[in-house]
Amino acid sequence: MSDKRDERAKALRERLNNELQRMSLDMCVKCTICETACPVAAVTPLFSGPKFVGPQAERFRDDEPVDHSVDYCSSCGTCSVVCPQGVNVAELNSIARAVMKAEQGVPVRDQTITQTVLMGKAMTPVAPIANAVLDNKLARYAMEKVVGVHRNAPMPTARGESLHKWLKKRPSPTKPATRGALVYFHGCAGGYFEVDAAKKAIEVLEYLGYEVIVPEQGCCGLAEQSNGLFEKASASVRRLVDQLRSPGTDLTIISTAGSCTGMLKHEAHQILGIHDPELLDVGTRIREISEFLMELYEAGELPTDFQPVNMRLPYHAPCQLKSQGMGTPASDLLRLIPGLEVIDSNVTCCGIAGTYGLKKEKYEIAQAVGQPLFDIVQANNDGLAACDTETCRWQIEKSSGVETVHPIVLVHRAYGLGR
Amino acid sequence: MKRLDTDVVVIGGGSTGLGVVRDAAMRGYRAVLVERVDLGQGTTGRFHGLLHSGGRYVVSDPGSATECAEENAILRRIQASAVEDTGGFFVTLAGDDPAYADKFLAGAKATGVPASEISVKEALRREPRLDPHIQRAIEVADGSVDGWQLVWGAARSAEAHGAKVLTYHRVTKIERDGDRVAAVICRDEKGGEDVRINCTFVLNCAGPWAGQISEMAGAHPVEVVPGRGIMIAMNHRLVNTVINRCVYPTDGDILVPVHTVSIIGTTDIHETDPDHLPIPHNEVQQMLDAGEAMIPGFRKARALHAWSGSRPLIKDKRVSVEDTRHMSRGMAVIDHSTRDGLMGMLTIGGGKLTTYRLMAEHIVDAMNDQLGENRPCTTADEVIPGSEDRKLYTVTHRLEDREEDRLDDQIICECELMNRSMFVRLLEEQPNATLDDLRRQLRLGMGPCQGGFCAARAAGLACSEKAIDAERASGLLRLFLKHRWIGIWPILYGQQVRQTALDHWIFAGTLDVEHLPQPEEEIVR
Amino acid sequence: MSDVVVIGAGLAGLVAALRLARAGKSVTLTTKGPGGLHLSQGTVDILGYTPERVSAPLDAVASVPAGHPYASIGAEAVGSAVSWLAEEFGPELLTGDPARNFQFPTAVGALRPTALAQPSMVAGDAVGGKSYAVVGVRQLKDFPADLIAGNLARSKAPDGGALSAHSAWIDLPARKGEADPTPLTYARAMDDQSFAATFAKAVGAVAGKADVVALPAVLGSKRRDVWRQVADQLGRDICEIPLPPPSVPGIRLYDALLAMVRAAGVRFIQGSRIVSFTPGGDGVASVTLAAAGGPRHLKAASFVFAPGGFESGALDVDSFGTITEPVFGLPLTATDAGPLIPSDYWGPHALFEVGVRTDDAGRPIDAAGAVVHTNLFVAGGIIAGCERWREKSGDGIAVATAVRAADHITGGAR
Repeated sequence: MSDKRDERAKALRERLNNELQRMSLDMCVKCTICETACPVAAVTPLFSGPKFVGPQAERFRDDEPVDHSVDYCSSCGTCSVVCPQGVNVAELNSIARAVMKAEQGVPVRDQTITQTVLMGKAMTPVAPIANAVLDNKLARYAMEKVVGVHRNAPMPTARGESLHKWLKKRPSPTKPATRGALVYFHGCAGGYFEVDAAKKAIEVLEYLGYEVIVPEQGCCGLAEQSNGLFEKASASVRRLVDQLRSPGTDLTIISTAGSCTGMLKHEAHQILGIHDPELLDVGTRIREISEFLMELYEAGELPTDFQPVNMRLPYHAPCQLKSQGMGTPASDLLRLIPGLEVIDSNVTCCGIAGTYGLKKEKYEIAQAVGQPLFDIVQANNDGLAACDTETCRWQIEKSSGVETVHPIVLVHRAYGLGR
Repeated sequence: MKRLDTDVVVIGGGSTGLGVVRDAAMRGYRAVLVERVDLGQGTTGRFHGLLHSGGRYVVSDPGSATECAEENAILRRIQASAVEDTGGFFVTLAGDDPAYADKFLAGAKATGVPASEISVKEALRREPRLDPHIQRAIEVADGSVDGWQLVWGAARSAEAHGAKVLTYHRVTKIERDGDRVAAVICRDEKGGEDVRINCTFVLNCAGPWAGQISEMAGAHPVEVVPGRGIMIAMNHRLVNTVINRCVYPTDGDILVPVHTVSIIGTTDIHETDPDHLPIPHNEVQQMLDAGEAMIPGFRKARALHAWSGSRPLIKDKRVSVEDTRHMSRGMAVIDHSTRDGLMGMLTIGGGKLTTYRLMAEHIVDAMNDQLGENRPCTTADEVIPGSEDRKLYTVTHRLEDREEDRLDDQIICECELMNRSMFVRLLEEQPNATLDDLRRQLRLGMGPCQGGFCAARAAGLACSEKAIDAERASGLLRLFLKHRWIGIWPILYGQQVRQTALDHWIFAGTLDVEHLPQPEEEIVR
Repeated sequence: MSDVVVIGAGLAGLVAALRLARAGKSVTLTTKGPGGLHLSQGTVDILGYTPERVSAPLDAVASVPAGHPYASIGAEAVGSAVSWLAEEFGPELLTGDPARNFQFPTAVGALRPTALAQPSMVAGDAVGGKSYAVVGVRQLKDFPADLIAGNLARSKAPDGGALSAHSAWIDLPARKGEADPTPLTYARAMDDQSFAATFAKAVGAVAGKADVVALPAVLGSKRRDVWRQVADQLGRDICEIPLPPPSVPGIRLYDALLAMVRAAGVRFIQGSRIVSFTPGGDGVASVTLAAAGGPRHLKAASFVFAPGGFESGALDVDSFGTITEPVFGLPLTATDAGPLIPSDYWGPHALFEVGVRTDDAGRPIDAAGAVVHTNLFVAGGIIAGCERWREKSGDGIAVATAVRAADHITGGAR
């Protein structure tokens, strides 16, 4: 082990020893509710469960990491959400894993798949080629062998045009901005892979009378964080915070990147241990787009002159959204649309958990985790499913064969903004 | 009545007694140790877990300081598995006199106790929970030590050298033949019979109970002043280094990381009856204040369990009985032949767990002198069973072990990661053990849930594995719950209230333990 | 804004939310995590001990002392609340008569009274002359078959008749390569019909002769008829014995209730704690949710506060021994824990009787008897007046007080 790694692991361990997360283990009464909710422990004995690797193991950890089963945690965060006592189980586990990775080093694969912006930037100009490569079985087999990304794992589809390119090209909005300005945060997916959802979010917000400012923006670092690359993740999220603050420090920030919102709201603070006031400022001002629209609704300020959308729509509330502890606003919002029969999946997790389900050694687990969800989606759809986070959508779409979109796409349609 | 013949009977199954029986056996004496309950159930099991560097005594008691430093090094060598190398700090808190640290450093130099001052910044880097306002910090070679691992290790060593260790054997009588000790009569509490042990020598190592034993032999009572102290175990390691307050030794000035917990101690109150040691509310509050002074937020941390222990100090006429703090920490061997005209009996008092081996050496040397024997002590050189690999204990051990076997074995005590094999193995070795006896050696039920999830499991397992009938298993469960509670109720606040409520939910609510059929006679051991 | 915000997803909170939604109210149910059902035995206790063993719980409810949570409700209302809930669950999940207690073996072999039970447990009712074959599973550490059978065999049924029991074991991993599954893992395996069949076959091979085969309560998680499959295959009665947490029968009730609540249109917020409130008029205007990214205010016309008791931290004791209710700062029946904590484990634990005192509508009142907030109702474990675990009364109190709160809010008849 190199000295540098050693130092890094020690620094993380020291921080953990002094962090609130570790103090939260005092709240654990061993009730085991976290284990009953853990989607990974439900499908494999390889993961000892959140209580075991979390508050239980934490009392035994010191310097050298000796337990590796924590690597099977997918970081979905369900344990922290359901813990009735307030133990930050997932946060403890994330930090413990980071210490382990700092000691052992991080595989090239995990370093690569965390580079979402880079992938987007690299793939967008050569979209047809990139997509063809990712569709090619031989290429995927080679990719599994060389970098450990499972051959059947869902990979994003590159679009030919980035969101910012579209923004430059499109005509100015026709409706005047009567409600003031908002900052829009699209995340890596919205910027490069799911440009359509981002466009529609902007159009909905503009339709409601907002001026939508879309600053240049990078990655939030979530994938790096969940792979234990804390230094890189901290740099990423700090850069993004500055970018999102650039248009003004009193504007509401609207997001369609569900998991990235969670990173900004609490994970960067609780897991990476960033206590910058700038981060806390962004974390306080940011809203999931559905959360924001439901706040408008509760205040009586959301036009509900929706056109009917007559279909059954399976909706999956992703883990990263549930862990924001605000309920499932997209489900509430979609129910306002006449004709739309929203079928909540009530399934804990789709399995992908960011980059977890891409890894060849985790792929089968991730698929087993998501299977009940895929079954529900397949049994209850009229050609479409909805979910707020990008990697979950790719996972659901790839495994169920049903096109899966951001909920805002349906709101967009209900407002009659589609073609 | 059962009869045994031996050279020497050692009375008392604490660290001193075990050190002594091991030493005597290693010098070729036939030796039998008798203990009225389980090993390490008295003072040895009721301390704060500190392996002294000697730092604590460099100013107040230089002789003890040097002894501690030397014995500390020896124990790390011969009994590594019971010792953790935590290191220690002596810190000057915001309100403390910073000049004391200079006296401390001078004293350390004079007594040969390794100590060096480190910067406050470095101390805070290594122990970030320390009060940031500390003024000075001195690093010493403190460690932590598991008293039960220590005594059981010594017992196994003694047995390997031919000694017998009899637990649950209560001394009822010491018989004399004229002016000589002739036999010790015991009651085998579990077997229900009397045992006569003919001997030529008795070594009284009964600690706070030594006065009662010396009286049985017809000697003038040895006056033992039980100095009672309370300790509180906190749920996790708030620090990984022993934290001492750098002041003249006072109450509540030490926080020791031991296994998965950290222990704050201790008070020092004169007590008359070592069998009834209270844990008074005001002393608990005093400990919490002391913790808060060292570690801000200490009162919000979770307290698991409290206990009260009794120091076996031999009365020293120079100081008042009410002030045991200022008595010598040094050991005292009382020669009953010169004192009482009683041949064949020595009593030992004072000392510390850290110096248990040295105390044994002294008393067995004194016995050698009386017997006219010249048998040298070898206890400092021979490694004790269980420590052959000479690896010091680390807190990560059990987690590492469970990582290996978690798919093949069941974890019975989840908090302390004790698995089924560990439990069954010990139960096979000690089939008459109570759950408490097993607890001390395995840490069963000593974590956050205090037996809430493991006690019924353990009772059930004992019933299945060792053909203990349901009546005894149920009785042992009831006894275990009752005993755990002794250390819970005095510190029942904060998170432990949630836990206790859940534990009640399980035992009273779900299992209805209260309404198990009652045994004919309540099981007490 | 919703008509009602319900705080807590234990039995009381879920029942209140369901009852309100059934009455047409818009409801938001907010909770940190699942409440006590995961920890419970999956039955509905009404009253089990007074401290004498109770066989007719509603009769016993009628004569509780003043200050007991039941005293202001009355046996009839308790009976109808519990019966309503049983109807909601349906006989596949809950059966029995609120006027009569079953006496079921526990997972250490004591006999425990309860009123309503899951059908998979009913055959365990201890009546004189019954014989049990207690079959343990090596992989399940919380079901000590030998201890259970040994204790049953030395017990008398509450009717005075003798019981007999013997134990046996099977060795059947739920998942390959796992020696230590949770009961829920085992129950999930049972959802697979072929695993349940293998299980039944193994049990049949060792059970020996007895009236009832007693098994750990792991017979299915989602699939409700596993117990029937096993009983049919064995060709005789079986009974499930609930285990310490996580409780599979408890989770069955939780899942079913939550599904009903959500199907009834209740908005469900999980994962954040309610930390404070904003007053408005002579009541509560909103409660504050400590969500990620900052506080969110949940407004409503009425609030049902069902956060549990000491076990959930809804009642807190600080290091100085002061008892508080941290969210609303409600007046409590006692504030000094010191004198209420017994040194004798088996003695009464008066601390756990501490809680909120209410008016007949279930609204917290102060020492003078005045209502604290006109639109704030409490239900379940936070209400003062008894040691629920010892009495076996927690479920009945939760259900009855939740229904009482809901009915007052909807203005429905009591």
